[in-house]
Amino acid sequence: MRLKRFFRTLPAKLWILLAAAVVFAFFSNDFGLVDIQKTAVILAVGLDKTATGYALSAEVAVPKGSDRTTGGTSSVLIEGEGETVAACVSELYEKTGWVPKLIFCDLIVLGEETARQNVFDCLDYFLRSEYFSDSCLLAVCEGRAADLLATTSEIDDTSSLAIEKLFSDASEKSGAVMKTTLREFARSYYGVSASGYMPYVRAEQGADGSGARTEQGGQNGGQDTASADGKTIYDAAQTALFQEGVMTALLSERETFAFSLLNGNVYAGTLTVDGMTLSVLKNRGSVTLVPGEAPVARMKIDIKVRLQNRSESASANDVALGRLTAEDEARIGEALAERVGDLWRICQNTGCDLFLLRQALYRTALSAYDRSASDLLAVVRPDIRVDVMGVW
Amino acid sequence: MKLSSRQLFFFLAAVAPVGKLVLMPSQLAALSKNDLLFPAALNLLLQAGAVFCALLFARRGQTLYACLRERCGTVFAKIAVCVFALFLWLAAFVPLLEQKLLVQNIFYDTLPSYIAFAPMFVFSAYLCAKPLEACGRTWDILAPMAAIGLLGILLLAVGKADYGALLPVGAAGAGGFARGALGVADRFFDGALVLAMAGRFEYRRGMAWKGLLCYLAGGAAVLFFLATFYGLFGEIAVFQVFGFTRISKYFSGVTVLGRIDFLFIFALAFAMVFYTVLPLQAGVTLAREALAPRNPLFAPALACAVNAAALIGVLAVNFMMTRVMQVFSGPLVWVFPVFSLAVPALSLLPRRRRHAP
Repeated sequence: MRLKRFFRTLPAKLWILLAAAVVFAFFSNDFGLVDIQKTAVILAVGLDKTATGYALSAEVAVPKGSDRTTGGTSSVLIEGEGETVAACVSELYEKTGWVPKLIFCDLIVLGEETARQNVFDCLDYFLRSEYFSDSCLLAVCEGRAADLLATTSEIDDTSSLAIEKLFSDASEKSGAVMKTTLREFARSYYGVSASGYMPYVRAEQGADGSGARTEQGGQNGGQDTASADGKTIYDAAQTALFQEGVMTALLSERETFAFSLLNGNVYAGTLTVDGMTLSVLKNRGSVTLVPGEAPVARMKIDIKVRLQNRSESASANDVALGRLTAEDEARIGEALAERVGDLWRICQNTGCDLFLLRQALYRTALSAYDRSASDLLAVVRPDIRVDVMGVW
Repeated sequence: MKLSSRQLFFFLAAVAPVGKLVLMPSQLAALSKNDLLFPAALNLLLQAGAVFCALLFARRGQTLYACLRERCGTVFAKIAVCVFALFLWLAAFVPLLEQKLLVQNIFYDTLPSYIAFAPMFVFSAYLCAKPLEACGRTWDILAPMAAIGLLGILLLAVGKADYGALLPVGAAGAGGFARGALGVADRFFDGALVLAMAGRFEYRRGMAWKGLLCYLAGGAAVLFFLATFYGLFGEIAVFQVFGFTRISKYFSGVTVLGRIDFLFIFALAFAMVFYTVLPLQAGVTLAREALAPRNPLFAPALACAVNAAALIGVLAVNFMMTRVMQVFSGPLVWVFPVFSLAVPALSLLPRRRRHAP
């Protein structure tokens, strides 16, 4: 009888048991979550090659009073070394006692030396980690990544946040920066083209000093104490090209802008040609492969531009209308075609399939891909077309 | 109270697809590369056929056990239904492991204790103690949630997907197609679930066709999801496990609004919990009908026993997930076509004619 009653009320008992288990799990250890005070919230990491492996510099967020631009967040730079990136992360834990939390990491900066070898030797860790977001931005920097992150920015307490500002949507639309994420870069690396790009970041001295923080590396980089000797501004207008994970070339600002135009990214960006500065109102760009015996890479840019400024005085009518003549449009088109041509030659010389032509061939003509994928860049002929339309 | 036709259609169109969104997309990408749609489509079409057969069987108004008892006698019917229930419990194992990994990896930001998933089995035991007919109201609620969840993540993801990544068609070859079709066959057992529901809903005219269309509509959503998933990740889709939690976060608005996509992900995850438990529940309902139909204590006791066994099983293979999945897509793979395709098809065998004495 008692057994019967027990089983009859079992569903209700199960509910109570479930509620008790959930309440217990919550009050005992917050469902197993790590206490925020025991975690190091990493905002950005820098990776440098060392003689024995890697050095990982982690910029860890530290809450503080809201006296500066970040609204209450400052940072500490902590460095860990090891044979692998995972070993570096473990060393961060050993050094500080904080559990390194990479889920909020929005930026990976690779030192120049690191980028000269296959970057997936170290990015491998981030692809494997379940607790790392692959929408994180990637950049390669001049010199050591640790040194870049150790600088004190003119515009933000935290150097990584200042660098990330360079990769905003607005910057990308200006055509000045070509940003990429870990997902996009990994996709192009593992794809048949095995090529990709990253913005190349350089630290430049600000108006008032040297720019470098005094204590680099180590586990003690409070920014307030370090900022006395100068501030830095950052520049990411150059773009590093990668072939099979290795940095093979650097695009100048002009070529980066041409690449942006080919991607159709540019809206409200500016370009200067023959003493005229023009703002881009509309941009469409494409690179298509026409396969065949003599394959052609058809590169097309359509832009609508408005005259913004001339480097010399003009008539009142010209100021009022800002009209571009047909000759002006032709000159602008030629200048852009020249930039695209330079970009193409760099890709051809370095073997970087930046425009994913091998991928296009693979998708559209598998048998042709099997025959000619290896020397495609050498045999393909560029067909560059730039249509410029002045708007007034 | 029986299930209504609307509730069953809701299940087929919106709840059944959610079980295919966790590990299956990355598994298919590993096995069939850019041709991942074809093995999935084959499995979906076969299951659609099985669902159609099971619904036609339900036209007789009998449960599986009642039909077998009438044809083959009580002893055979009891054994056969118990074996069928064992299959359903087996089929629930991989989805349960998927749920555990999903909770541990997506809803925690560091690795939690592996016992953190244990309360799920208390919830599952509660559901299993209820008869299968009680699912109707649940599906009324879950179907819109699952549909909105799936629609939401797809809408956020389509803009970033490069569907050209699915080209060239046939690059994986026949081998890739076969490996993919067999490798994920253990996620397709909806025909068996509908067969377990036979006799627990009123068959109405045209229900088999409508059910088939509903299942195909849900299957089309799964295929579109797979296409979007591969379009977003391409060659790296292989290691993008828990695909449905990943595809929507690249929407440009997420950087401004935060992870709004988690609303849709949670809606789908909620529906998934019930779908994961359903084979266990169906097995308990079948076993109760066959072994102790009049004993009200049997179902709760069996529900506890089955879930305790499932908990022990999940804990026992905690560090062997890959090996378990290899066993299910390897030596055990034949079990799924037998029970989820052949049994629903065989259920349509004509009744034995009773000759007049």
